[in-house]
Formats: sequence, C-alpha cells, structure tokens
Amino acid sequence: MIEIKNLKKVYNGITVVNVPALQINKGESIGLVGNNGAGKTTLFRMILDLIRAEAGEVRSNGEVVAGGESWKKYTAAYLDEGFLIDYLTPEEYLYFIGGLHQQSKAQVDEEITALAEFFNGEIIKKGKYIRDLSKGNQCKVGVASCLLQNPELLMLDEPFANIDPSTQFRLKNILKDQNKNKGVTTIVSSHDLNHVTDVCERILLMEKGVVIKDIATNSSTLAELEEYFGVGQSSPITNTSVEFFDKEENH
Amino acid sequence: MISTFFSHELKSFWRSKNTGKSIAVKIFLGLMLLYLAAIFVGAGLLLDKMLEGVFPNDDLVVAFCGILLVYFVFDMVTRLQLQELPTLKVQPYLHLPVKRNTIIGYLALSAIFSFFNLSPIILFTPFIVKIILPENGALVAAAVWVSIVAISIFSNYLALYIKRRSNINGWIFLVVGAALALLVCGDYLWHLYSIQKVSNLFFGNLIKTPVLVLLPVLLAVIMFFVNFYYLKANLYLEELSSKKAEDRKSTTEIPFLGRFGHIGDLVANEIKLILRNKRPRSALIMGLFFMFYGLIFYTQKAYGESMKVFVGMFMTGIFIISYGQFMFSWQAAHFDGILVSKIKFRDFLKAKYLLFTGVSTVAFILTLPYVYFGWRVVIIHFVMYLWNIGINTTIVLWFANFNQKRIDLSKGASFNWEGVGASQLLLSFPLLICPYIIYLPFHLLHHTDMGLAVMAILSLIFIFTREFWIAQLEKDFTNKRYKIAEGFRNK
Repeated sequence: MIEIKNLKKVYNGITVVNVPALQINKGESIGLVGNNGAGKTTLFRMILDLIRAEAGEVRSNGEVVAGGESWKKYTAAYLDEGFLIDYLTPEEYLYFIGGLHQQSKAQVDEEITALAEFFNGEIIKKGKYIRDLSKGNQCKVGVASCLLQNPELLMLDEPFANIDPSTQFRLKNILKDQNKNKGVTTIVSSHDLNHVTDVCERILLMEKGVVIKDIATNSSTLAELEEYFGVGQSSPITNTSVEFFDKEENH
Repeated sequence: MISTFFSHELKSFWRSKNTGKSIAVKIFLGLMLLYLAAIFVGAGLLLDKMLEGVFPNDDLVVAFCGILLVYFVFDMVTRLQLQELPTLKVQPYLHLPVKRNTIIGYLALSAIFSFFNLSPIILFTPFIVKIILPENGALVAAAVWVSIVAISIFSNYLALYIKRRSNINGWIFLVVGAALALLVCGDYLWHLYSIQKVSNLFFGNLIKTPVLVLLPVLLAVIMFFVNFYYLKANLYLEELSSKKAEDRKSTTEIPFLGRFGHIGDLVANEIKLILRNKRPRSALIMGLFFMFYGLIFYTQKAYGESMKVFVGMFMTGIFIISYGQFMFSWQAAHFDGILVSKIKFRDFLKAKYLLFTGVSTVAFILTLPYVYFGWRVVIIHFVMYLWNIGINTTIVLWFANFNQKRIDLSKGASFNWEGVGASQLLLSFPLLICPYIIYLPFHLLHHTDMGLAVMAILSLIFIFTREFWIAQLEKDFTNKRYKIAEGFRNK
C-alpha cells in the first residue's frame, strides 16, 4: 500500500525524518509511537504530500504521492483542526465531503445516523459551527469525515488525545472494525501505549526521525514499549512478565 | 506591574508573525502614518486661515468654538467604526497573583494611547497658541486646551464602553448608531437645532469663566470610572473577548449553486466563509460602500471620462480587488484539508472564477442606476465589468500564488495589517496601471470609443481562454504549494 524509500526531511540543518525504507502492506494496522519531536506528524504530512521531502519518495499503490492526485480518492486523514472547514456546521462539512465522493445527502445522513453512538449527541443539530466545538468534538467530526470517504487508507494523528474515555473506547472499536472487517489499512499515532497496542498489529517506534523499532504486537509489546519510554526510572525492567503482573495488581 | 504589561504588549507586537517581518509593509505603514500626521499638523497650522475662509463674517474665536463640538460628534462616529478595543490578552494573567485592579487599570489606561486622542491635540493646539493665547491670556488658553483633551478622553471611554456593551448585546450598537444619525440629521437635515450653537454656548462661556473647564474634566473622570467598574464587573473571558453571545447556527444551502456540481459546492463554502467571518464580511460591506463612489465623481464636471474608467473598474470589481488580494489566505486555516481532500486544484480555481464573476455581475447590476448620468456610463461600466472578470480576476489569482500569509478571519478589517505583505503592494500596480496603458493612448488621440472597444475585446479574449489561464495557474501552484501550505500553517 505505502512504500517509502530514502525519505528525508531537514529543518534548519536538523534531520527530522530519515526513513531509508519502509513498507506498509494492504490491510495492516500500524501504530506510530515516539516522543514529542520524533517526527511522527512530519512523516504523516509527507505521506499526504503536504510538505516537500528533501530526498526520497513515498509511493501509494505504486504511484509517487508527490504531485499526484489519484491517491486522494482512497486516502482519508485527520491530522489536526487544520483539516476542518471551521466556519461550517458539522452537517454542512460532512455533506461537502460526502459530495466530493459522489454521495447524496441521503447517503451522508445514513452514515451520520450510523455514527450516532460515536457522536454521543454532541455533534449533529447542535446549532454550532465547527470552530465553536471543543477539540474533542472537532476530532469526532474529523474522524467521521474520514469514515464517510470509505477509504482504503486511513491516517489519524493522535486521535485519542482530546476525546473522552467513552469515545476513546468507541474509536478503538471503529478502528478495529475498519481494519478487520473492511480491510482498511490504518495508520494511527498516539502517546497512549495501551491504545496503540490494543488497536494496532504492527508498531513503529520513532526516535529523532528514525524508525528504531518495527515490531509485531504480541503480549509483551506493551512492556517492551514501556521499557523504552520509561527512561530514567529507578529499576530497569529485567523480568518483564513479573513486572507486568505487579503493575496489574497495583492498579 | 503595569510597566511589565507594557513590555509584554510591545513584545507581542514586534514578535507577532505579521509585524516586522516584511520591510515593504513597514515602509508602507510608516509612510501612511507620516502622511496622516502631516495632514493633521498642516490642518492644525492652517486652521485659522480655513476658518476665515469658511466663516468670513464671524469672529475667528466664535467660529472656532462653534466647530469644536461638531468635530467631536464626527470623532465619535469614526471612533465607533474604527477604534479597536485595547487588546492585552488578559487570559494568561487572570489566574496569576496579579491584582484585578492592576489588570483593569492597565486595560483602561492603555486605551488612551490611540491616534484618535492625539488628533484633536495636533489639530487644535496651534490655533489655541496662535489666536486664543495672545487674545485671552494663558489661563483661558489652558482652560480651552484642557477642555478639548478632557472631551476627547470622555469620548474615548464612551466609545469603548459602547463597544464593550455591544459585544454582549449587538442591539446597543445599532441603537447608538441610530441615535448619532438622528443627532446629525436633526442639525443638518431638519435644522431643529444647531450643534454649532451648543458648542458656542459652552466654549463661549468657557472663555469668559474658565472655571467651567471642570465640567468636561468631571465628565471624563466619570466616564473613565464607568468604564473601569464595568470592566471590573465583567472580567470574564467570554465577556472580554470579541466573540458575541452565540446564537444558534443553522445549516444552510444555496440551491442555485447546486447546478455547478463540485465547483458550486466550493463556491457555496466560500460564500459561507465570507458571510460567517468578521474580516471577509467587512471587506464585502466596504465593497458595498464603493457603489456610491460614482456619486462623488460623476457629479463633478471636472473629472473626464478617463476617471469613469477607473471608477467603473472599482465599482464593478472592488470585491475582486479587496477580497482577492488576500486570496487563498482566507482559507489558510483549513488549507491542509483542501490539499488532502479529493478536490482538484483546477476545480478550486474554477470556483474562484465563478465566485468573482458572480459577485462582479451583482455589482454591475447595482451600478445600473448610474444610467442617470447617461448611457455611456453604463457602457463604460460594462466594459470595466468584462475587464474585471476577464483580466483582473486572472491577475489577482496569479498573485495569490505568491501569498503565504495566514489570516485570522475573526478580526476586523480596519487597521488590520495581518496578512499584508509585499504581494499585496505589488498587486496594486498591475491592477491600477494595466487599464491605463491600454486606454491612455486612445484617450490622447481622442478615440476613446476605440479604447473602450480594445479593452472589451482584450477582456473577452481572456474570458474565452480561461481554461488556458487556469492550466497556467495550476502549473505555477504545483511548484509553490509546499511553501504556501507551510506559510499558512504558521500561526
């Protein structure tokens, strides 16, 4: 689905992304983790052709993304509020996005009804412009507009950051459903290790622009990631399984 | 503490993304300010001569006293339109151990530093020094001067108070506006009373009994405290911010545009952008005022037909110029979304052409009543209308590719320099010069009909080759898109 070769982005002499080779296959669910400044959002933006790469290329379905238009047909993404037209009401925005994909209003309404639980009664018919919604509710509109496009590739940048626990739970189910039942390739970044290891089958760990770990999720992945991120903690984890157990009991 | 606030405010001014970046803007801004100041200084120095000219029968001092209050009435009108509320962003200080009185004191005091409070001083001080001082002595001169300063401080706080109140309730602004209009009409239209006489009554007596100076000073002090306590009682974010109390927003459609498919949808979105955001909305309203431009110029015999070409261009194309000069910046906040979504840039451009054509057509229809000044005026307007939708639209969109500045849609348009860069200044040259280059030679040879015909033909050529220009613009955009998108991401 996505193929990255020698991709590089430099800001003021500092390399912020440097990915020599990365292959993402159709139907995979990718979790992107890394501390602030690791280059996750920059990588996302390069995959979406929003910023120019210094070197290398991103191919989507074999076609170079930069300058191309055809990948837009099957790619849906929500990185930040900059993706929403904030002076529209959520309904107007969703009709607009649906219209771009040749959907009638009735079809969009149907989708909206299906998402009623996810919206939790806070989005539709509230008489607010998107700019007046909270960040979490804006995120819901962004995710909904992605789902509306029936994408083959779905990219979300930190979708769990601003939404409430119930919505986090629902979003996880939606992502799993999209991936398992509809075969959508999903790429999700998050700082919440529990969420990514739950939703994603393959985790990419980025540090200073480089993908330093590429692991298939299994029962010890969470512990492995916690070990990486838990730098400076008193005792290095020696026996992961015991440590894991202790944690559970402490809660 | 207050000095810290001042230094923070200065920093926020100089470090904001939009000031101090571009030298062209700095120079332009400096020249504008110098020009304004020069006008006021000049007018101040020559005020006695002007008064002599306008009121040849009256005593100079009487005439001077008469105009003072008239000046302040119009000063009030301009203040209500243009004066900005002091903009210290108080939010970061509210939760800190800073006394509320300090914050409010700063907000209230910093409001004094406004051009509106300086202008009466520049304008009237020379007259007081030249005429009143030698005639009536230092005490009277000082009293008059202090009264003028006090009245301007009074109207300063009155204007801010009205603006603050109307932030919460929009009706107040309308009521005050109507009251001011009635006040002016009562004098100049219906002659019920004379502001000039009232002004004379006060200032005339002031010269006789300088103690009266206490009256305006008292008014100024009262207004300051009204403002102060109002702020103190309402020091909450929702009331301080310029956001009005939100009504329920409705989902609307523009069925007519449905015919144009995707492009129509894009135009509908842009119309909503214009109507639902403060800055583009004020650009549109200012455009409506330009419809009266013709009344100023066509009624004067002194202006020839070449003036009509310009006036016609402005009246039918003001929207293209005033809105188009910031093209793409309007959508800066969601530009990433546009780039990623399934919109072909070609369609995006076509939507701009459709929007400009539509608005210009409406403007042309609105200018039809100028047929009163002869059919030829309508013909000129029509030629300029074609020129606008053919040539100016393309020029504006071509310059849009050089524009990388983000605009905050929620701020007002007057004195707002956000998003202004070299490209706006450069853009004005081709817009103003191109019609002249074509028209002037014919004008000099006295073949103005030919000149108009050539302009019309050129415009039609551009209109019929739109596809070609769109392709060129698209090609140019593909090269610059990363830069534009990155600029727009910079808040």
